[in-house]
Amino acid sequence: MKIAVCMKRTPDSESRFKIAASSTAIDETGLKFDMDDFAGYAVEAALQLNEKAGGGETVVYAVGPDNVQETLRKAMSMGVDRAVHLKADAVPVDGIAVAKALAAELKTGGYDLILFGKHAFDSSAGVVGTATAELLGLPCITAASQLSVDGGTGSARRELEGAAEILSFPLPAVVTIDEGVARPRYPSLKGIMAAKKKPMETKPAQLGSARVTIQKMELPPERPAGRIIGEGSAAVPELVKLLQNEAKVL
Amino acid sequence: MTAGNIVFLFILIVAVGFFSLNVQRLVSYLQIGHPDARTGHPFTRLRNVFEIGIAQKKIFRDPVAGPMHALIFWGFMVLTAGTLEILIAGVYPAFSFEALLPKTIYTVYSASQDMFAVVVLAAVSFALYRRMVLHPRRLDGDDLEHTDALIILSMIAGLMITLLLSNAFMLAAFPQAMGPEKVVSHQLGSAFAHMMDPRTALARYHIFWWAHALLILAFLNYLPYSKHLHVITSLINVYFSNTSGPGVKGAMRSMDLEADVESFGASDVEQLSWKNLLDGYSCTECGRCTAACPANITGKLLSPRKIVINTRQRLMEKAPVMTGDRMDFMRPALSHGVESYEAATSDEVLGHRLLDSYITEEELWACTSCRACVVECPVSIDQLDIINEMRRNLVLTESRFPAELQPVFESLERNGSPWAFSAADRAGWTEGLDIPTMAQMRERGEKPDILFWVGCMGSFDDRAKKITVAFAHILRACGINFAILGQEEACHGDPARRMGNEYLYQILAKNTIETLDRYEVTTIVTHCPHCFHQMGNELPQFGGNYEVIHHSTYIERLLQDARVPLRSAEGQKLTVAYHDSCYLGRYNDVYDAPRQAMKRALPVIELIEAPRTKDRGLCCGAGGGRMFMEENTGKRINAERTEELLATGAAALAVACPFCMTMLTDGVKANGSEVPVYDISEIVAGQLQA
Repeated sequence: MKIAVCMKRTPDSESRFKIAASSTAIDETGLKFDMDDFAGYAVEAALQLNEKAGGGETVVYAVGPDNVQETLRKAMSMGVDRAVHLKADAVPVDGIAVAKALAAELKTGGYDLILFGKHAFDSSAGVVGTATAELLGLPCITAASQLSVDGGTGSARRELEGAAEILSFPLPAVVTIDEGVARPRYPSLKGIMAAKKKPMETKPAQLGSARVTIQKMELPPERPAGRIIGEGSAAVPELVKLLQNEAKVL
Repeated sequence: MTAGNIVFLFILIVAVGFFSLNVQRLVSYLQIGHPDARTGHPFTRLRNVFEIGIAQKKIFRDPVAGPMHALIFWGFMVLTAGTLEILIAGVYPAFSFEALLPKTIYTVYSASQDMFAVVVLAAVSFALYRRMVLHPRRLDGDDLEHTDALIILSMIAGLMITLLLSNAFMLAAFPQAMGPEKVVSHQLGSAFAHMMDPRTALARYHIFWWAHALLILAFLNYLPYSKHLHVITSLINVYFSNTSGPGVKGAMRSMDLEADVESFGASDVEQLSWKNLLDGYSCTECGRCTAACPANITGKLLSPRKIVINTRQRLMEKAPVMTGDRMDFMRPALSHGVESYEAATSDEVLGHRLLDSYITEEELWACTSCRACVVECPVSIDQLDIINEMRRNLVLTESRFPAELQPVFESLERNGSPWAFSAADRAGWTEGLDIPTMAQMRERGEKPDILFWVGCMGSFDDRAKKITVAFAHILRACGINFAILGQEEACHGDPARRMGNEYLYQILAKNTIETLDRYEVTTIVTHCPHCFHQMGNELPQFGGNYEVIHHSTYIERLLQDARVPLRSAEGQKLTVAYHDSCYLGRYNDVYDAPRQAMKRALPVIELIEAPRTKDRGLCCGAGGGRMFMEENTGKRINAERTEELLATGAAALAVACPFCMTMLTDGVKANGSEVPVYDISEIVAGQLQA
């Protein structure tokens, strides 16, 4: 099968985030960037599908400045066959602008499946996958926690609140991947060495015009420190009163 | 020369020729291993041969088997001279050392042959009794067979008996044939003289002489087929071993990660070094390593002895195929226990390998890298080196490791710590303490005397943070000019290296060196033995050379120089059982400093030792990356160790390692005990003047 995986490079979620002086972006100093977690699941899903099929090609795509090449290389060290870097000074906030660049590239790729993470950790918009599907005129399944292919038909499972749904769809299709598919594999040194020799194509990203921009970013208000009301059963009436009147949860 | 001499010469040539053929074969098998330069520092190596080999230093660690083996070994050394004389005289009867040596020396030599024959016979009889009646536990397990050992012991007994009897019958026939120094032979001889005429005695002499000479040659040729090959290889193995130096003990070897190879680490014998393979030849399956292994003791699959035996078995299976040795009559004996042997064709042999077919992943991941096996081995085998090379293969080539380790690797990579804590929180423990960072000092144009390397445990673990603070208080109280790296500190990668991830390790190690060199750091003090070992002993492999001091040694020095402002030592007598950290003790020989530091700070303290202590100390269970893995098989190692420490009746336990702290604190809790666990710095800090 020929599978494309589109990924984003995002900062590590354990980081302490600060807002940059411009107040429209985060301060990137000291942040560690890596393949987005959901994109990692998508790569793993693609690799497993092709391993199961006993062949095929897996290709990764990413939009962004030169540093995304490191992330693309990581995908290749996991086992992806080749990478395409769509070069842009920055990744626009407008997911549709990104989707246009990807769709322009993927259109002629002849892929059976195009996978995305269900959303990227930093923006949590989940727009690029669905917008790309629309631009390519392909069926789109979002947030799949399981994915399999049998002949020309795909099957996916989606976790809902208290339930799950099983979908079936014809290939080619776009699927955005939720966690649960399979934990992304840890690249072996053998894989890392092999990735250095795998082809990476770089071309300018044909981004669409960005119609959405960030006006201002702010951190959530700091949580006030907890209060100790008292000890033992004597404190219960006061606690109940506060939960009713102040916290308004009872 | 009689016809008998000619027949003997013929037998001698055949026997020695056959033996040397087997030696060549064994040497050619070693050559399938990787090269490993082991010829430097000949004087240290000779010292090891003298201490560990000739003087049997490590053999004596077992108070029963030790003297027994030493007597057999020394007896053999002495009797080998006599054997030479006997073999030469078998061809050329007129030969005797008597003509070559001064009289006194010859008399001593002659007496020694007589005496040691009796000594060895006694020791071998005890060895047989021990093996067949006493059944020491460590001689069993790992599918071992006793036949080989029984054959060897019987042969040695036979050699001694035939030697004594041939001398005795000679003396029965000709009482003047040997000097009176051969007391035992003379006693036996005169007894025989009463029983038979000289002619019969002479005939018996010839029978026993031939029996003795033929047994010598049979023994020689049996060795290459037996685990008792160690008779030939162990001194050589001790010479080439690095386990007692030269070089830094316990330092893992560096890997060339840029090498254009298909496979990293070792999954089969040809990916091990020739020295690992020689270890296989030298193992006599005594089981001292396995008996000391914390994983084995607590019911895990790992047995360090099995790792070494498997290496030899696989070598015997694969090397003949690789070297094109078709006369593979050596294999059955040394590869006993290989099920597939009978049917093995070349294809089958090449179709399996040391990893998986012999040694499983589960065994390799059970190792705590505590070095107990290495310290115990009387012939300086390095079991841990084989385990480490195989872990490297699992991680670097196959990406196979317990699932719990992936977040550890990922966190080391992203956060510079095995736990997913943000580097921004690294200096959280300094709140309210006003501890300067290297960067702040540089800004002020100052330079501290020492860098306090806090380590990941000391920075993030709630219990270990208290150790960090206690040590900082001591430094403060002594007026030490020190700084920390704060947010710029990041793991040096030691856990990654121990878990086989050399690639990640080298990235982190090089980053650490870059940071340290940027601040021109020369002296580092740390309370983590793992950081201490890694930074002092392994970073030099990448050009990072610093004086690294463990806090126990540093505090001990401060106390010795009376620089620590202590309160007067009043209070109740406190009995403390100190637990040795492996990376402080067996890796770096630091046993006394932590004990001394406690005694100096609190003279009323009474130190009690657990049965397994100092270089025999049992690991807490956290080493070798075990800290980050589940422990689901058998008893928990920390429970085993904690019970032993609590059984001393001590009122408190003391450690000098934040990992040991976690393991023992958990152990005490699980035991339902309320005995506190202190770091030695906390005991000292508790005695500081207010």
